[in-house]
Amino acid sequence: MPWDFVAFMLLAAICVICAGGVVASANPVHSGIFLGICFIHVAGIFVMLGAEFLAVVQVIVYTGAILVLLLFVLMLVDPDALPEFTSAHPVQRTVAVLLGMVLLLEVSVAILGRTVKGVASNATPENIALVGGNTQALGRSLYTEYLLPFEIASLVLTVGVIGAIVLAMPERLGERVRRRGTISLGHPRGTDLVLPEGVRGESPIPDSAAELETGLPSRREVIMVGNARDYTTVGRGRQ
Amino acid sequence: MTDVGTDHFLLLSAVLFIIGMMGVLIRRNMIIIFMCVELMLTAANITLVAFGWENNSMSGQSFVVFTIAVAAAEAAVGLAIILALSRRLHSVDIDDMRVLRD
Repeated sequence: MPWDFVAFMLLAAICVICAGGVVASANPVHSGIFLGICFIHVAGIFVMLGAEFLAVVQVIVYTGAILVLLLFVLMLVDPDALPEFTSAHPVQRTVAVLLGMVLLLEVSVAILGRTVKGVASNATPENIALVGGNTQALGRSLYTEYLLPFEIASLVLTVGVIGAIVLAMPERLGERVRRRGTISLGHPRGTDLVLPEGVRGESPIPDSAAELETGLPSRREVIMVGNARDYTTVGRGRQ
Repeated sequence: MTDVGTDHFLLLSAVLFIIGMMGVLIRRNMIIIFMCVELMLTAANITLVAFGWENNSMSGQSFVVFTIAVAAAEAAVGLAIILALSRRLHSVDIDDMRVLRD
């Protein structure tokens, strides 16, 4: 019994089933979990192909970083918007499935009828073992043959991080700051005196039943200060 | 046929890629479309490693390192775009993103 064939079939079957689950499940969280399982099994495929370092990187970067980022975004977006099923137009869906089938057929024919073989290089298993292992061999390849692309990849990552921060920054930061000022008026030490009548900030929770009835604060202290603007930032902006 | 060769890995990669492609075409949720793009990138990675394995070459694995780096950057930027759009339009439905077209 060729055990590597059994292992490959198992890994491939779970991969394909989970990929189908990503596409088919209505809940995005389920899609994310399916995607994680699929990535872990792709890491197993990498181990079968002798790429141990990449298997570890696959688990760390894809399932560790990208998937967690994805789940964070799932938590941050509007929860009412998440449960989809204003799905695609039926025509579009049929065309997509048909196109997929045709493409799969073409690619399978191309793969199975492949006659061109690449030129064998020198990274045979014996040579890799001589260097010290897959990680060492990959490191040699990256830092000699692909040094410039490696540096450019780091630049791409830096640009990506900065772009992500800029894009995800809240648009109206100023409004939020002003609102925070209004809320802090409810604090007992707030300087209600500098504000004109009517816009006095109230604490959202009434202190007592009497306050709830009358709507007037019952036991809020007002501290008199010489210049309210020096005491708190609330008065600023109301010249 | 019971011997695992490059063709098996290539076929698996093709199937994964096409499932991802169909997901991009069928689904309307931007986050799921994003997941399908990641799936397609992973399928391409399997192809690269498989050809490197066939030819006893380290270049395939080196390319996959770059692909993963670009995928990570793409994930950060793409998810930030999804976040900004969902904040502004209160939706992650790709059909709602038609400001440029209208």
